[in-house]
Amino acid sequence: MPNTEIITRLLTRHDTWRGQHQKTTQRTISSGQDQVDQLLKGGWPTASVTELLVQYPGIGELSLLLPIIKHYCQNNHLAVWLDPPYQPYAPALAAAGITLQKTLIVQSKSHREWLWIAEQCIRNNALLLAWTKKTTPSYTDIRKLQLAAADSGHPAFLFTATTQLSASSPATLRLEVDTGGEKNLRLCVRKLRGVAPGEQILIPRDRDLGPQCSLTKLPVNSSHSAISVPTDIPRSTTTSQRLNA
Amino acid sequence: MLTLSTALTLCPNLLTLQQQSEREKKALQRLALLAYNFSPTVIVTEQGLWLELSGCEQLFHSYNQLLRKLQQALLSHSSALDADSIEMGFAESAEGARLLCRPGFYCELPSGEELLHQLHNMPISALNLSRRQQQSFRQLGLNCLGDLMALPRAELARRFGTGLIDYLQLLLGEKPCQLQRFHPPPSFHDLLQNPQGIFSKQGLLFPMKTLLQRFSLYLQARQCHCRTLEWRFEPLLGEPCSMRVTLSGSQNSWSNLLDLSRLQLERIALPASIESIILTSDDFIDAVPAEQDLFADTLFSNNLYSNTALTEKDSSQSSKLIDSLRARLGPEALLQPVLCSNYLPEKAGEVVPAGAFQQSTATHYGAQPLWLLPKPVAIQVRNQQLFWRRPLSILSGPQRLCDNWWQSDQQRDYYLACDSQGARYWLFRQSGSGRWFVQGLFA
Repeated sequence: MPNTEIITRLLTRHDTWRGQHQKTTQRTISSGQDQVDQLLKGGWPTASVTELLVQYPGIGELSLLLPIIKHYCQNNHLAVWLDPPYQPYAPALAAAGITLQKTLIVQSKSHREWLWIAEQCIRNNALLLAWTKKTTPSYTDIRKLQLAAADSGHPAFLFTATTQLSASSPATLRLEVDTGGEKNLRLCVRKLRGVAPGEQILIPRDRDLGPQCSLTKLPVNSSHSAISVPTDIPRSTTTSQRLNA
Repeated sequence: MLTLSTALTLCPNLLTLQQQSEREKKALQRLALLAYNFSPTVIVTEQGLWLELSGCEQLFHSYNQLLRKLQQALLSHSSALDADSIEMGFAESAEGARLLCRPGFYCELPSGEELLHQLHNMPISALNLSRRQQQSFRQLGLNCLGDLMALPRAELARRFGTGLIDYLQLLLGEKPCQLQRFHPPPSFHDLLQNPQGIFSKQGLLFPMKTLLQRFSLYLQARQCHCRTLEWRFEPLLGEPCSMRVTLSGSQNSWSNLLDLSRLQLERIALPASIESIILTSDDFIDAVPAEQDLFADTLFSNNLYSNTALTEKDSSQSSKLIDSLRARLGPEALLQPVLCSNYLPEKAGEVVPAGAFQQSTATHYGAQPLWLLPKPVAIQVRNQQLFWRRPLSILSGPQRLCDNWWQSDQQRDYYLACDSQGARYWLFRQSGSGRWFVQGLFA
């Protein structure tokens, strides 16, 4: 009797060629949002490094990862935040369902230390969220992390600046995170197997808006008046400039 | 018995050394820890070690196998020990075994008749009796223990006192042994000395490994895991240097401990030459035996989160990760966010050193940013326009926070603002001064 278990395992390997029946090849883990899953052909790729190219902090890049952090914490894995740019705010993490006991913030002192910590975390089955402080990781650094992630079978996330877009990277997924107007977040795939570079979606960001009240009595300007008009124009020009470059 | 002067006359270039009873005792204690793995009843005296083997046959399948394993363990324990330097004897009683000690290690257990025969042939002079009693036995024509045992006990007791009968009963195993049983000491302290001095960190690793192997035996004997251990490196001259290794989970394998110690060793500055290395530990927790799946299947172990056994493994792995990070980076580099029962945001979510975690059930309402600035930053209002990095505009709010009114004027109205690029910030306006601050980022 053929061992069906072995056959299905063989068929789900991404290097098994199956003729016409091309399917999703990368093992993925759901990102918690259908829209993102659709864009990324199933979700965040596991066993590989995901590079998130963020325009600047505060545009909603971290909330993308909250579901997967929650998933890992619930399964008794550590989530390591390596060199976060600001202090993670515990009530917000707790509100997102993240076990604080499973959250570890690590600060590195040098680039060598940063790389060592990142590799240790990946190899010990922790979920890694890494920011870079001053030095940007080189191609070989990311390749090292990519190999470690392939061994451990867990995803690792690397936050880099959009200026890194011109440099090549061995990361499996490179996703540019950008603002798409005041109320949206724009995700643009820069590199992923099976996805054309430049494919993008807009995600609404109104989730964290609190109760609206009468903003007219405020001593300062509110959003709906003067500001949105003049600032919209330079933003669109910068985006198109970057896309042309 | 020779006196020292007689011995020196006979052999002028004799090397004499002071007996160091304290160190002998320590060495015997270490051997006792080793022997404790083979028998639950170990007795240590100045003369040597006793092991009661009667209950341990089943565990090792046979006595001979047990003895072979014991021999292996003893010989690998220390290079100073070899089969010729060991004397051993078997008997039904502790005193009998002492009498029957012969040089060499025997892996074959003699039969009961053979033992009795050997005991019968034991000369009276070897027995632990007073000189007067031995003399009177000799005058009576009793030369060996067999002659003495042939005599009726009641008459012997009348003539030589009940002390003799007690001794004979002890010797024949008719009375339980009254020697104190060995228990592992409540804390561990061991040292290795190198009179030549150790000059490099690499050179320290070998003695550290030896010490940790001894420590691991100790932990095994006590069935506990350690939480902290302390190393002290003492130079011949100058200040000693110490290093504390803290463990977050339960581990007692010496190779893990050595890895952690080595990582930590890289961070500290050591004296130029180290003469003695001391390992101490007194912080233990009871070990929980690891549960193993009877039908553990390697085929499925690649699947994520397939069963509970895997998550157990993960949690031990995460504590291993925490330990190695802490050892290499120092405890101050590892932080954890905690919830506190305070409504002021800078106090509600703090970061504390990892491991100092306590559960809090504080609840916080409203929109919360993921990033918090360490200190609220005052921002400018230009022309009725908030400005921080870029011009800001309010999206929603306010949410009033009024806390610690007895300490300071801390009434704050919180707003959610966004800048021209779409980044969102958490602002507040102090109601007393009317000043604006930015406190967080919605990442």
